[in-house]
Amino acid sequence: MKNLIKKVTTAVATTVTLAATSASYAADSVNVAFFLEWGTPNQISKVDKAYDDAMGVDVNWTDFSTGVQMTEAMLAGDIDIAYSQGLAPFVTAIQQGHPLKMVGVAMVYEANDCFVKNGLGIDSSNASELEGKTVAVPLNTMADFAFKSYMNALNVDMSTMTIVDQAPADGAKSLADGAVDMACIFGGNSSKAAGEVGTPIMTSAQKVEMGIGSFDVISVTEKFATENGDLLRTFLDVTAEANAAWKATDAQLAKVAADAGMSVADVTSQMAGMIFMTEADQLKNYFGKDGIAASAAAALGTLFSDSSDGVTIAKTIDGSFLD
Amino acid sequence: MLSWVSEERAFIAAVVIILLLLCFTISIFIGVKQTAFREKDEVFGDPERTLGGWYWTITGVSSVLLLWFYFSWGIGRAFFPEAGNEMCQIAKLETAIAPITATLPINTRYFKSTTLTRRNSEQLEILLSSMPTSIFTKIEQSELIEIIENSKAIIGVFSNQKNQSKESVAFLKKISSDIRKLSAELRLGFDGYLPTKEALAQPNWGTTYIEIPLLPITSKGVLFDSISNQASIITKTFLKTRNNSDAGDTLIESTKKKISLLKATNKSSVFDEDILIRRKAYVKAVERIFKRLDDGTIFPPKAFDGLNYAVTDLFTAIDETKGGLKLIDTLFVPGAGVIKSRTQCTEQGSGRWLPKPTDVIASFLKLANPNIEAGGGYKGSTLFWWKWLPIADLIGFIIPDKIIDLLPGEYGRHSDTGNFQSNYKDNLLALAQGDIYLGSIPMLDGHIWDSVFRVLVALILGIGLGVPLGIYMGVSRFFKSFFDPIIELYRPVPPLAWAPLILTIFGINDDGKIFLLFMVAFAIMVISARTGASGTQLSKIRASHSLGASNRQILRYVILPNALPEILTGIRISIGVCWGTLVAAEMLAGTTGIGFIENVARVVSNYELIWVTILIMGLLGLAFDIMMRRIINKTIPWRGKG
Repeated sequence: MKNLIKKVTTAVATTVTLAATSASYAADSVNVAFFLEWGTPNQISKVDKAYDDAMGVDVNWTDFSTGVQMTEAMLAGDIDIAYSQGLAPFVTAIQQGHPLKMVGVAMVYEANDCFVKNGLGIDSSNASELEGKTVAVPLNTMADFAFKSYMNALNVDMSTMTIVDQAPADGAKSLADGAVDMACIFGGNSSKAAGEVGTPIMTSAQKVEMGIGSFDVISVTEKFATENGDLLRTFLDVTAEANAAWKATDAQLAKVAADAGMSVADVTSQMAGMIFMTEADQLKNYFGKDGIAASAAAALGTLFSDSSDGVTIAKTIDGSFLD
Repeated sequence: MLSWVSEERAFIAAVVIILLLLCFTISIFIGVKQTAFREKDEVFGDPERTLGGWYWTITGVSSVLLLWFYFSWGIGRAFFPEAGNEMCQIAKLETAIAPITATLPINTRYFKSTTLTRRNSEQLEILLSSMPTSIFTKIEQSELIEIIENSKAIIGVFSNQKNQSKESVAFLKKISSDIRKLSAELRLGFDGYLPTKEALAQPNWGTTYIEIPLLPITSKGVLFDSISNQASIITKTFLKTRNNSDAGDTLIESTKKKISLLKATNKSSVFDEDILIRRKAYVKAVERIFKRLDDGTIFPPKAFDGLNYAVTDLFTAIDETKGGLKLIDTLFVPGAGVIKSRTQCTEQGSGRWLPKPTDVIASFLKLANPNIEAGGGYKGSTLFWWKWLPIADLIGFIIPDKIIDLLPGEYGRHSDTGNFQSNYKDNLLALAQGDIYLGSIPMLDGHIWDSVFRVLVALILGIGLGVPLGIYMGVSRFFKSFFDPIIELYRPVPPLAWAPLILTIFGINDDGKIFLLFMVAFAIMVISARTGASGTQLSKIRASHSLGASNRQILRYVILPNALPEILTGIRISIGVCWGTLVAAEMLAGTTGIGFIENVARVVSNYELIWVTILIMGLLGLAFDIMMRRIINKTIPWRGKG
């Protein structure tokens, strides 16, 4: 009996010491998170293994369905770089004090649309008629941000509306069924479904005029940025090359579509609305002093939580890896 | 009062923890005594003799709470309220020094230079062997080979101790001695360091949105904070340190020229587009590695020895200065300790995802505050409160508007003067739409009530329809054979699979959610009532039949009482499953409800809120279950005594 206890304690002690000392070792592989059904030029580099060749390490790509899951995987230490994480989940993560930072802008695209049910006769000119109506919004996402921006821009009193928290696919369905009068949607397929029965409250031109837009970010763990700055720089470099090489040719689109798991037509229409900036443009417009990245993150931060201030969020934005 | 409770939550937790420890030990003591006392008349498996045992309940509950306190760092914070802040200051120092640490074999196996040398040499080898000879001329090929060989030579030059420039050696020496100074300063101790007024005015650990106060509040913390400030200056100069040597510079210059020549050829000459792209890609790949080498980040193998020694010593000094904090860290703060992110200090390990019991209660109280203007409730609805419900709303809910349309006559129109005189039909329509004030009645309101309401209605419907059907299925050939395939076919389908259909059939209001829960409860009730009814002892039925009982009497007085234990167990199970399905039901179209709060909290990764909802659901389920146990004891006291 005594012997057994001794054995068990030794075993436990060994395990504990092993667990305690197994610290991280220098990266010989880099783990990157990306979205399925979200076509981007760098998927060509991903398929061609250009990242692996340029960085000299294995690059493992894992697909995610939401940005929050990307954050959780980064916190658990399984992901180093999240490519094209939404601004909303990034800001939320920073508000929770998580050690992440924004090192680049993946792409700029039109703000998500809010579709008004056809037949209601409501558009941006008489938007105040939306007061008292029911709206489906996926809360605390970029679509929520877009919804609030539209309503503020159009002077609609949101407190009179019934806001229903629905995932985009469900929101599109409810809009078709007439259960809601307006649905704010993100994602290609859901937007298409909602577009069948509704009309966006603002046209693309109006969105640009009002300055309502959104962008996805490239975020990394602080640990990865400190310890492997060289790898991160190369990653951004290869991404920039892929963006520069993007001509939306048929061959390129087919390659991206195959990797994204979408039809070529869908990828074409989805990517037509995206702008991929050069590193220089990102530095100039987004990461400079009073850049768009910091101001948008701060605006989003105060929108989601009144007890946070934008200044701290701006500190986690770092364009130094772009040059 | 409330703000005092909130500020002093660490102290309150300490009192609670001591009480819990007392409960835990005393209950074990009583339990052991009672067990010894009753050992003789205990019969294994006899439920009558295992009644009671409240002391073991106390042991169970207090051990779970103590574990929760421990793993959420609640015990650490309660007894060492300053530890988090001190650990934050140490984390600041570790973060400040991290760029230097990353180049040394601390927490890693190799020097950064070693890793870089290996990685780049390997890549150069691969480039050399994969050179596309068909698209470059012979001369260009030899040029390219020379560039690659040069790159290799650069690695060699930088790795050679003799080539390292005197400035760079001196620079590293200076940094090492600066770090040694920091260690010495740490070892001198923290006497005389005083926290600033501003730091002391910070809210306590965990009382605001920012978990751990950032500015140092103890002398030890001030020492670490000031060291970390110096360290970040040292790090900044370190990051500018480059290994440059004259031999290297000449090599780099000549290689640069060769690469730009190749690039110029690519630009000026005319190639097939396909070939041009491949040429450019290859030259780019060569240049990329060269550029990684030319900035002098590779140092000779022994260059960092002094620095490595200094930094290792700094970590030893940190460990020594930590003193008692080290013990607190290992014993009371399970997990990876505190880390400093860009904006704040956060708890890692279980402290990150398991909020402290006191914080959960604080969050709950904030939600439970019925005053929405003062920040209570969640998303514009209270947690559990009451409101005045206009009677007109109820009437409007009951009378369909369409009935008014069927009445004779037409709705009014506005007159020439622009006035509107309503006729009887308009008035009735207003009534049917609930627009006429008829007085109000008090009514429960809030997220919890909405969820409970949905579950209750679904249960009542499930019991009301499921029990009769189940009993008839137990006694009637027609009912059994007709309904069996239908029920058995839909019963095993998980409720989530129905969810998308429910939304499009019922829409976004309560009816869809209630129907989803009803489906769950219904199947369970049918099965349990049927099992109960068909399990009736044959002799009892025959006895009552021969005594002249009618069919109805047999059903009412023999079969129903016999099925009751099964039915009540079925109700208990369906209550549990209904709570389990609630989150899915309220995800469809969330406006209110506990499941809605949980869904939104998940999107913003607010773990405190998630735990609040988990606890509310658990406690409500428990309350329902206790109620059911009472009912079972009252209605079927004969159960298990046959």
